[in-house]
Amino acid sequence: MADLVLSGIRKNYGKVQAVTSADLTFAHGELTALLGPSGCGKTTLLRMVAGLEDLTAGQITLGTRNLTDVPAHKRKFGMVFQNFALFPHLNVRENVCYALTIDGVPKAEAYSKAGELLDLVQLSAFADRRIGALSGGQRQRVAIARALAQEPEIFLLDEPMSALDANLREAMQVELRLLQQRLGITTIVVTHDQREAMTMADKIVVMSNGRVEQFGPPQDIYHKPRNAFVADFIGRANFFEGIIKSGKIAAGGLTLDAGDLKFTETTPVQVAIRPEKVYLEDTMPEGNRVAATVKFVRDVGAARDIHLETPLGPMIVEYAIGENARSVSVGDSVEVHLPATALYVYPSEAAVRKAA
Amino acid sequence: MSSAEITSGVAPTKASAPTLSLPLRTIVLWAVIVTFCVVPFVLVLAISFGQKIEGAAWEWAFTGENYLRFFVGADWPETTTTLYLNRLYYSLHYAVIASVIAVITAFPFTYFLTRMSRAAQSRWLVFLLATMSLSEVFIVMGWDILLSNRSGLPMVLRETGITQWLKDVGWFTQLREWGLANPRDVKFKTSVVATILTMSYLVWPYAVILMYPALSRLDQSMVEAARTMGAGPWTVVRTVVLPTIRMPLIGTVFLLFVFLLGSYVTVTVFADPSKQTLAVSVYEAVRGSTLNAPFGAAQAIILLITGAICLWLGQLLVNRTGSSAEAKA
Repeated sequence: MADLVLSGIRKNYGKVQAVTSADLTFAHGELTALLGPSGCGKTTLLRMVAGLEDLTAGQITLGTRNLTDVPAHKRKFGMVFQNFALFPHLNVRENVCYALTIDGVPKAEAYSKAGELLDLVQLSAFADRRIGALSGGQRQRVAIARALAQEPEIFLLDEPMSALDANLREAMQVELRLLQQRLGITTIVVTHDQREAMTMADKIVVMSNGRVEQFGPPQDIYHKPRNAFVADFIGRANFFEGIIKSGKIAAGGLTLDAGDLKFTETTPVQVAIRPEKVYLEDTMPEGNRVAATVKFVRDVGAARDIHLETPLGPMIVEYAIGENARSVSVGDSVEVHLPATALYVYPSEAAVRKAA
Repeated sequence: MSSAEITSGVAPTKASAPTLSLPLRTIVLWAVIVTFCVVPFVLVLAISFGQKIEGAAWEWAFTGENYLRFFVGADWPETTTTLYLNRLYYSLHYAVIASVIAVITAFPFTYFLTRMSRAAQSRWLVFLLATMSLSEVFIVMGWDILLSNRSGLPMVLRETGITQWLKDVGWFTQLREWGLANPRDVKFKTSVVATILTMSYLVWPYAVILMYPALSRLDQSMVEAARTMGAGPWTVVRTVVLPTIRMPLIGTVFLLFVFLLGSYVTVTVFADPSKQTLAVSVYEAVRGSTLNAPFGAAQAIILLITGAICLWLGQLLVNRTGSSAEAKA
């Protein structure tokens, strides 16, 4: 089946560039999350895929079909809106039937299709309810069923969980993912919640300021962030500045080994390391040791965050329960080990800005 | 008021000051309502049962003659005339069609207005509010000139040769049948078309202002959702926009209808004397040539009651279709 390909997509609102040159391929049957802080252009990108926004430049193709100038009502990509946008003058079943009704499908057929879909989202008992009589979670299911009724080639969801409370949100993420896998439908979800993206997605597109920062499977995004923005936005990271000296990083009066680095001498760099990858144990590998003072211990039950002051700046180390962290208390002088493979090294942002 | 009396009875000493002020306020309020709203109406109602004195004014009485005259004529049972029923019919006829036309034409305008920029929207709204300050007399004067047979549109049609062309293709005879042409020229005065168009024009700004809040509150994501489900622009309007704002839309028609029942200047200028309305007839009876206040009052009461019945029937219809839609769902 056909992949959805965006090539060179740009969107300007006057002088503001909402999306700058996005090249993405959404493989058939995969769920892709568009992830980024608010205002990063992810919703604009989704709306361009739906046909609700015109492109300033670029092309959208689905298989061999060029969809760039096809209006939304001819693309018929099912879309779930942030506020669900259900029709208050129709009941649940009629909402789900909407696409079929306006398409002239006979009533009996449309109703039986709606019945199947309501079964799928476990709302069969609510078919005759008015929209006003539903809870937030039920409304979301109706919105999903309604968008799927037309059997769309692409299924789009714009922040579908943001109107739900926290408990329901996690349950719905899993449920939506299972549903999507069962139907094998190409799906794009916009979210600003990285846990949501990690829970549901085959691929994640990380965006900021209208740019695609990284596109790949969640584990790649998490373990191999391509730049400092991604390292910071996905998961947590400790950052410090340094300079390349004879193939190593000089920072805070220390010299750290970071494996094979592709930087020229004296390049200012920014280094990131995830809290759970820092060692703070009784027996640790040699090298890359940093002296530290314990400032604060945050124990949240399942995990413990140890806040440290180091020559590299403040640093957080995370240990889950059951791991062999050494016991520490506030004020202790300790040593941490930064594994060479866990250090992400990027050109320093200040230097990048100067070059640009 | 009754609850205030009860509380003053229970706690006579302590709460006397505040409970005293409340009935006073209520009394003043009711006095104002009674003096300015109820008394004039009761007077009209009472006069409608009065009697005209030939060659003089009228006197208090209790006779149903005025009402009888309205429905069957003064000389009944010798002769029967439906002249006044006819006028009532034209009152309703003009008001219904004109208010519906105003709403139908104002709807697309208002719909697109709500999609303009904020600045453009407020400019339009200020402009429309400003046009409301034009009196009916002023507007009718303008339309009178626009539609006048010697110097208005008919003249333009004649001079540009369109009248001749209409005659050549044979549509002129059709216009004559509709009362929009005399033997030689197109004419709008007097005609039902001109009357209704002017009435629509008169209330058009009101139609926009009344529909604007509902349309600007319309959730755009519903429109977009419909589009992603295959609804073209017309289908969106038909299946999403209109059903969502159905109540405000019908309310607007009702309001304009009631407003137009009383329009006077338009009818006197544009309607054929045989097709004039009850409002004109009431004025003639009370202030004009016939000087028969009791009969004018009776006509006014009948117009009022008919208007009320129309609204009631309309609401009944709306509720029935609403609840049957619900039952069907």
